[in-house]
Amino acid sequence: MAAAAARGLKRPIALGLSMLVLGAIAAAAFAALIRHAAPPNVSSAFPAGEIVVGVDGSFPPFALDDGATLQGLDIDLAKSIARDIGLPIRFRNIGFYALHDALISGQVDVLISALRVDPARMDDLRYTASYFDNGLLLVTDADDMAAQPDALDKARIAYEYASSAESHIRAWEEDGRNLSRRPYELPQYALDALRLGQAEAAIVDATTFRLYQSARNGWSAKSEFITHDPYAIALRIDRVDAWKLVDSALAALKESGELGRIVDGRL
Amino acid sequence: MSFPNLHRKRLPIYIALLTLAIALAVPRPAPDHVPLGAQQRVETTVPLLCLHTLLENEVQEAKIKRSLILARELGATTIVQFFPWAYHEPSKGRFNWERADRILAHANRQGLQVIARLGLVPAWARPSSAETTSTLNYLPADSFEHFARYAAAFAQRYAGAVKALIIWNEPNLSFEWGYRQVDPAAYARLLRASYAQIKAANPDMLVLAGALAPTLEKEGSAAGLNELDYLDAMYRHGAGDVFDALAIHTYGFRDPPAAEPDRERLNFRRAELLREIMIAHDDGDKPAFITEFGWNDHPRWTGAVRPSQRSAYTIQAYDYAQSNWDWLESLCLWALRYPADLLSYPDNFTLVSADFRKKPIYFALQDFSRQRAKSEALWLPPPQEA
Repeated sequence: MAAAAARGLKRPIALGLSMLVLGAIAAAAFAALIRHAAPPNVSSAFPAGEIVVGVDGSFPPFALDDGATLQGLDIDLAKSIARDIGLPIRFRNIGFYALHDALISGQVDVLISALRVDPARMDDLRYTASYFDNGLLLVTDADDMAAQPDALDKARIAYEYASSAESHIRAWEEDGRNLSRRPYELPQYALDALRLGQAEAAIVDATTFRLYQSARNGWSAKSEFITHDPYAIALRIDRVDAWKLVDSALAALKESGELGRIVDGRL
Repeated sequence: MSFPNLHRKRLPIYIALLTLAIALAVPRPAPDHVPLGAQQRVETTVPLLCLHTLLENEVQEAKIKRSLILARELGATTIVQFFPWAYHEPSKGRFNWERADRILAHANRQGLQVIARLGLVPAWARPSSAETTSTLNYLPADSFEHFARYAAAFAQRYAGAVKALIIWNEPNLSFEWGYRQVDPAAYARLLRASYAQIKAANPDMLVLAGALAPTLEKEGSAAGLNELDYLDAMYRHGAGDVFDALAIHTYGFRDPPAAEPDRERLNFRRAELLREIMIAHDDGDKPAFITEFGWNDHPRWTGAVRPSQRSAYTIQAYDYAQSNWDWLESLCLWALRYPADLLSYPDNFTLVSADFRKKPIYFALQDFSRQRAKSEALWLPPPQEA
């Protein structure tokens, strides 16, 4: 009789325990959700009261240490982001090989250094949205040439010898395309060839194209990305509030047109 | 659902049997075993030609073999390869040679000589993180003998398969010395400990010292010390007696290979300044191995040249070394290939991309090693305005 009573009690106890466990899990999940969605607090995101930015100052026009100052697109962008967040900024010029270690070990808060998004680092890092795409461009006088195999096959394609553009063209050829290749010693010469009618297309990266256009006011051509190399800002994965603030600031700069002005100012 | 009492008692047995059956039935990946293939021989006209490989973190054996085939087909006689101590002695006195065995079996089968670089401290030989800020390159003085034992075990096991050992990498950089102040006297002690044990284990194994980073850092810098002052200090602390040849790192940066050496400039012929220090310490009879050199052709990095220059400079460097440096045993280019792209300018030091795409410089070096002259120009003349 007592055993039967005990068996009768077991079921409600088990049910109660299950409810408790489920409730705890739901509460934890809800708390995490709230924490994630909560507006970030500047002082907890950057407790030192400043934003320390790691940058490789050997990478113009994104960052260049001229011996006295750091200058470049990444520097301008970092200053605008800090202004938007409302904190002072300090730069640390670090070589590429030590950049990620500096972030992970907490020597810097954020990396703004022409970094391509690297999926292999995503266990440690959290990237913002991209602020610049330095992929390869097919530059032509015609629309949508990359999407028209016939047009591309008939075109003379200019590029820099031994560059990533050549690797891309070789990959096209391995896919069966029979292209008319025109290698030049410098990427500017490839664009010269297009401008002077000695080629129907040129392949260069986006930075090269923009710098070439800036140097030749008035010359324009159509361009379309054939590869993408998005540059983004990196933060440590556990610094969610800091990431939210930086990502929001970047979004605001895009929205206001400030990011475009920063890019135009350097490229 | 209810079970009779008899079956209920046997339920754990049934579950265990079912689990076993599922475990046996689930298909498992075939063991990653790649045949070594027939013994190969390197065909080259450039005996100095050597490549730095990075196979220690390559997971797939097929990629190790493919990388080494590419090295042989390019015409390299020798490779430099890192063998991390932490991988091969994960706990004190217990060696696991599986990775090294695999790399060396394939390298030897391709007919390549191997220079082994040793470093990277296992956790058991480092101070605990509670004691001090430690990195994987932090080798405390009381672990020098442990490292020496590892080097000796390596030398003994790979007698005949490995030609030389490099003791540590770039100890003149704080980063490579566990983020401590660099210390040539301590490095000389490490060399002394290692040399004695290596020679006892395998008298034929060459011991290479230095592998110093080319840098302009002055005495007292937190980042390190320039390799010229560091080598001089090594000799003053008695290192001259405990190595067989100097390992040199000498990158070209923006200069062509023939550019004059200068204490205040980093370029290819800076190696000659190290050589002068050897001679000044009556050590000129010893040879040297350049175990890292090269140019980078990233379009943005300030230390880079154009891709066309990179190809030309690299070949000119081999020509220069063959004609002028009779003290040089090997000229090893950094680097054949990375196991994964780093997605920035260091990728532009390689000859082959992570996905095995050969870059034009690979073909240029292959032509050079086979003495195949190009009949046509590699690029067109600059377009001219009408």
